[in-house]
Amino acid sequence: MYDWIPLSRVRERRAVRVLCIVACVAFMAQGKPALAVTGNDAGNTVEAGQLDVGLPIFDPGIPADASTHSKLGIFPEIRKAEAKYMPVMLRQALVDSGDWGVVRVLPEALESSELLVTGTILHSDGQRLELQINARDATGAQWLDKVYTGTTTSADYPVKVPGDPFLDVYAQIASDLLAMRRQKSAKQLADIRHVALLRYASGLAPEAFASYLALTPSGQYELLRLPAEDDPMLGRVSRIRDQEYLFVDTVDEQYARLSEEMAPTYNLWRQFGAEQALYREEFQGRVSSRGSEGPPGSFAALEQTYNVYKMSKIHEQDLDELALGFNNEVAPTVMDVSGTVVKLSGTLDTQYAEWRAILQRIFALETGLAPAP
Amino acid sequence: MPGTRRHGTPWGTLAAHMKRPQQIPRSATALLLVCVLLCGCGSPTAKRPGLQGDNSKAVNFSGSWELDYSQSDNTQQKLDSVVGELNREAERRAQGNMQQGPIGGGIVMGGSGANSGTSILGLARMADLITQSPLLEIVQNENKILVKREEDFALSCEFYPGQYRKVETPFGIEACGWDAHQLVFKLLLPDGLSIQHVMTIGAAGQKLNIATTVVSDQVSFPFTLNRVYNRFEPGETGFKCQETLTRGRVCTTGSR
Repeated sequence: MYDWIPLSRVRERRAVRVLCIVACVAFMAQGKPALAVTGNDAGNTVEAGQLDVGLPIFDPGIPADASTHSKLGIFPEIRKAEAKYMPVMLRQALVDSGDWGVVRVLPEALESSELLVTGTILHSDGQRLELQINARDATGAQWLDKVYTGTTTSADYPVKVPGDPFLDVYAQIASDLLAMRRQKSAKQLADIRHVALLRYASGLAPEAFASYLALTPSGQYELLRLPAEDDPMLGRVSRIRDQEYLFVDTVDEQYARLSEEMAPTYNLWRQFGAEQALYREEFQGRVSSRGSEGPPGSFAALEQTYNVYKMSKIHEQDLDELALGFNNEVAPTVMDVSGTVVKLSGTLDTQYAEWRAILQRIFALETGLAPAP
Repeated sequence: MPGTRRHGTPWGTLAAHMKRPQQIPRSATALLLVCVLLCGCGSPTAKRPGLQGDNSKAVNFSGSWELDYSQSDNTQQKLDSVVGELNREAERRAQGNMQQGPIGGGIVMGGSGANSGTSILGLARMADLITQSPLLEIVQNENKILVKREEDFALSCEFYPGQYRKVETPFGIEACGWDAHQLVFKLLLPDGLSIQHVMTIGAAGQKLNIATTVVSDQVSFPFTLNRVYNRFEPGETGFKCQETLTRGRVCTTGSR
C-alpha cells in the first residue's frame, strides 16, 4: 500500500506512522459537518467568484492613555464587547448577501485568509457609529481603507430583534467589498485563492512552497507557478488547513453566541446612550436660550447656575451607572467566550506547531533533506 | 437616621449686620476677587502647583459617612463672621478714602450688586445648599474616586501620574487632584460662581472633613463651610445587589 515511498525500511516505518496521523486527521476533518462549509480548496465545488473572508475581532479603539477615556466618553469594557459584537454583524451582512464563500470571525488576523477584513471602532455611542475598515486579499492587494459612519434616529429604537440600528453601515461595507470583487477577473480571484493556500503552506513548510510565490517590493505576493494538482504535500496542507478551520469555526460559533446573548443588553445600552446624547443637545440649547432667574449674585441666580451643572452631571453619571449595569450583565458572557476562545486558540496553536513539525518531517523524508531546525 | 437635624434658616439676623448702602467701585471689587481667587479658591483653569494626579501616596476615603452636625460649621455663625469681615474691610476702606480718595466699600443693604445683602445671603445659602448631603458613600480605587452624595451629584476624580484632572463642558470647568494628603475638587461655573471642596481624613480614619468654599464675583470674600462626617458601617441586609441594564437592580441572597 505504501510501496510508492522510496525509502529505507526505517524511514518507511516513520513515514507510515506520520501518514497514519495525517490520514486520521483528514478523516476526522472530513467526518465533521462543519467542514462542509470550509474552504474553497481545489476540488471543492464553490462558485468561482466566491472568496472566503476572515474577520478578526475589531480593534476596540481604546487609547492606551487611560486618563483620556472618560473625557472621550469611552467605556473600555463596553468597547471590548463591541469589538467582538460588530464583526459578527458584518459577517451576517456578508453571509446574507450570498456573494461570499465562508465568512469567519477570527480571534486574530489570519494573514493567509483569501480576503481579510479588519476594523477599528472610532466612535460608538448609540447615536453614531464610526468604523475604520481595511480589507486586503491574500496577495496583499488593498480592497478597502475607509471610514464608515452611521447615525440613528429615534425610530431606530427600541431595536427590533434580530436587527441592528447600524445595519446600513454593515450593508455598505458589504456592498463596497462586492464592488471591489467584481473588478477582479476570474483568474485574479483564482490566483488569490491559490496564493492564500500557498501562503498557508509556506508557513508550514517554507522549503517546499516558498518557490511558488514571490514578494514584490510593494509587499504583494505574486504567483510564480502552481504545484501539480495531485501534489501530495499540497493535499496534506489543504487537509491541515481544513482542520484549522474546524477550530476557527468553533471559535466563530462562540462569537456568534456572545453576540446573541449580549444583543438585548447592548441594544438597551445604545438606546439609552442615544437618548442621553439627544438630551444633552437639547439641554444645552435650553440652557443657552433661557434668561437668569434673579439678579447677579442672588441665591436664585446662583442656584440656577449650580442646578444646570448638577443636572448635566447627574445625566453623565446616569450613563456611568448604565455602563456598570451593562458590564455586570455582559461581563460573565464575555469572560466565558474569551476563555473558550483562548482555550481553543491555545489548542490550535499547539496542534498547529505539532502539525508543522510533522509536515516538516514528512517533507524531509520525501526529499531526503534534513528537517528544518 | 442618626443626626439628621437640619440647620435652621440662618438668614434671619443678616439685616442686623448690614450697614447703609455704599457703592463699591467695580475696579475694587474686581481687584478683591482676583486676590481671593489667587489665594486658594483660584480658577481651576490655572494649574495650581500643589494639585497632583499621582495617587501613589493617596489617602483612602472609601466607606460610608454620615454628617456630624455637632462638629460641623454653623452657617449662621459663618455668615456673621463673613459679614463682620466685610464691615471691617469697609471701615478700613473708608479710612483709606479719607486719606486717598473714594475707593471704599461695604455691605450694600438690599438691592443687588457687589457685596449687597442679597449677594452675601445668596452666597451663604448656596454654601449651605451644596453641603447638605447627610450621607456620603465613597468608592475609591487606584485610578478613581467617586464621592456619592445624597441629594446631589457625585464628585468624581481620576488619578494618573503627572497630571491633575481637568474637564471642560459647556456647563462648567472642573478640576481635581491631590494636595498632599488632601483631595481637592474645584468647580468653575458660569456667572462668576466657583466652588471648591477640600477633603481631609482624620488620623484614625474615622472622621472626614469637607471644607467647601464658595466664591461669587458679587461678593468680595469667599464663604467656607466645614462639614464633618463620621464613618459608619451600613447594616447587613442579607442581600447582594447589583445594577443590570435589562432587569434593573437585581438582588440575590447571600453575604455581602
